[in-house]
Amino acid sequence: MAKKKKISVSEVAYKNLLRKKTRTLLTILGIGLSAWVLTSLFGFNRGYEAALNKDIDNMGFQVLLTAKGCPYEAATLMLKGGTGLRYMKESVLDDILQHPEVEKVTPMVMAAVFDPNKGESGGMSAYLGVDPTTYPGMKSFLKFKQGGWFTEAEALEAVLGYEVAELEQREVGDKMLISEKNVELSVVGVLLRSGTQDDGTVFLPFRTVQRLFQKEGLVTAVGIKVKRNANITELENKLYDLPDVQVVSMAQVKETIMSLVSTARMMVFSIAIIAILIAMLGVVNTILMSVFERFQEIGILKSMGAMPWDVFRMIWTETVILCVLGGGLGISFSLALSRLTDFLIRRLLPYTPTGNLIHISGQLALLTLMVVMGIGLASGVYPAWRASRVRPLESIRSEGE
Amino acid sequence: MDDRLALKAENLKKVFKRGSEAILAIDGISLEVKKGEFISFIGPSGSGKTTLISILGCLDNATSGSLAIGGKTIFSGEKCLSEAELTKVRRETFGYIFQKFYLIPTLTVYENVVLPLAFFRKPGASEEPVEILRLLGLERRIHHRPAELSGGEMQRVAIARALVNNPEILLADEPTGNLDTRRSEEIGEILRVLNAEKGMTILLVTHNPALAKIAHRTVALRDGKISSHGG
Repeated sequence: MAKKKKISVSEVAYKNLLRKKTRTLLTILGIGLSAWVLTSLFGFNRGYEAALNKDIDNMGFQVLLTAKGCPYEAATLMLKGGTGLRYMKESVLDDILQHPEVEKVTPMVMAAVFDPNKGESGGMSAYLGVDPTTYPGMKSFLKFKQGGWFTEAEALEAVLGYEVAELEQREVGDKMLISEKNVELSVVGVLLRSGTQDDGTVFLPFRTVQRLFQKEGLVTAVGIKVKRNANITELENKLYDLPDVQVVSMAQVKETIMSLVSTARMMVFSIAIIAILIAMLGVVNTILMSVFERFQEIGILKSMGAMPWDVFRMIWTETVILCVLGGGLGISFSLALSRLTDFLIRRLLPYTPTGNLIHISGQLALLTLMVVMGIGLASGVYPAWRASRVRPLESIRSEGE
Repeated sequence: MDDRLALKAENLKKVFKRGSEAILAIDGISLEVKKGEFISFIGPSGSGKTTLISILGCLDNATSGSLAIGGKTIFSGEKCLSEAELTKVRRETFGYIFQKFYLIPTLTVYENVVLPLAFFRKPGASEEPVEILRLLGLERRIHHRPAELSGGEMQRVAIARALVNNPEILLADEPTGNLDTRRSEEIGEILRVLNAEKGMTILLVTHNPALAKIAHRTVALRDGKISSHGG
């Protein structure tokens, strides 16, 4: 007969869980779902802010000056483009440059026209006029898939964001029509994917947009790059002295958006807490039922020499195994289904940045596992305590509780 | 206590309370069990056999009286060992067999047998229960689970489990209660061999007169008292 190993308490605990496989599986699934919600929530907390910061950093400037209006509209305009556009006088550029904190400025003018050929029943096409001498320098992270920036300051040329080019199936050398103006533009550049709103933008030279849309001397927004170590708040206060302008700092944008998101986040957090409580009750119920079912067996274990701590440890180990497996499953779910979660969150929130909303790192996975383990250990205390208190004779004589 | 004695009980009384009613299950029993002795306890249902053997096996305390095992006082008057100390006595001294087998269904025969070693291994106890498994004819069944065994085989596994820590005293409470005549005889033979060849002290509770006869001494109980001793 081959030499066999001695069985350990952990092994007994693991094998105990195999008795009622369906029940064990459902409990693990319950813990897994809670861990999924928890990991996704933690991941969202990190991912959303990181994506928003990335979007803001990719603006290339720290302060945006727009015509007076609602701050949220201004933020949306910056980040997603928009309609109902307001304009300021171009002379505002000189006023801004007077301030010593300002390193560079770049003017932008936006125009939108109805395009009957867009979609099934037509739609709005927006064009962002950017200054070829200053804009590329501020947005140095934009790289070209094909071609490059405009050849002349007033050329009838367009640079397409990655998604626009993909959607309209255009490449360098193609012609595109501004339908309402009956003007033909040459595509001179197609950008690589940047993961920002620039992917969906059609860029034209600043002066071309002003001329084509009769906006000479007007700008929609001015991007301001602040000198390193300059006091941005002080600059913002000075810029407020300019007439009919609105100063939008990226910190403000972030704050506004984060406050909008916090409500949704609280809702998700509440759901997570409820899910965790349900999972916890599920664990307590499963283990307690299992203890009651094995009441006599536990008595026998004690008669064969198991100390109360041995029984406590065995039952507690069962809980820990359930929680580790459930936690692992939940973390796997959250990794595998992060795109789905991302999609659901985008449908729920009023504004979402362009990057990954769910950021799950190894550290985060470990944190979730520790939280689930903590919950498991807490859930296992009562059933394990009940089991450890079983008196051998009473349990052997009983017919099960 | 005489060191030839395995245990000594004096004037044991056990009272159970059922509501306001007090039931005297054991009424002043005194008993000496020599090392290597095989005693069977017989008597009608409710005569106190199981209660007595549970007290002698440190699974329960008496209401009054005293018990000493291997020279150690388990209880005497008001003094009684704590639950942890009782567990130590149980695991160092006793092996238990019950009418029900109480095997863990998810463990193999081998794992069930070595299960007590997960909690305690008595110094000198074999790490490999090969001999026990061979003695009980289980060597070909070690990978099977309890559900794949007959009742007799399950009881043999329970006996092997009781023996794995090399106990000084084996307590068997109706070990053949769930078995047919042939299997009962097999179990009786195993108990006889354990006593004769290993010198193990055995306390057996049974309703089966044929099984009781293999013991050195038969103690008959009635209404919580010893009604007769048979040699």
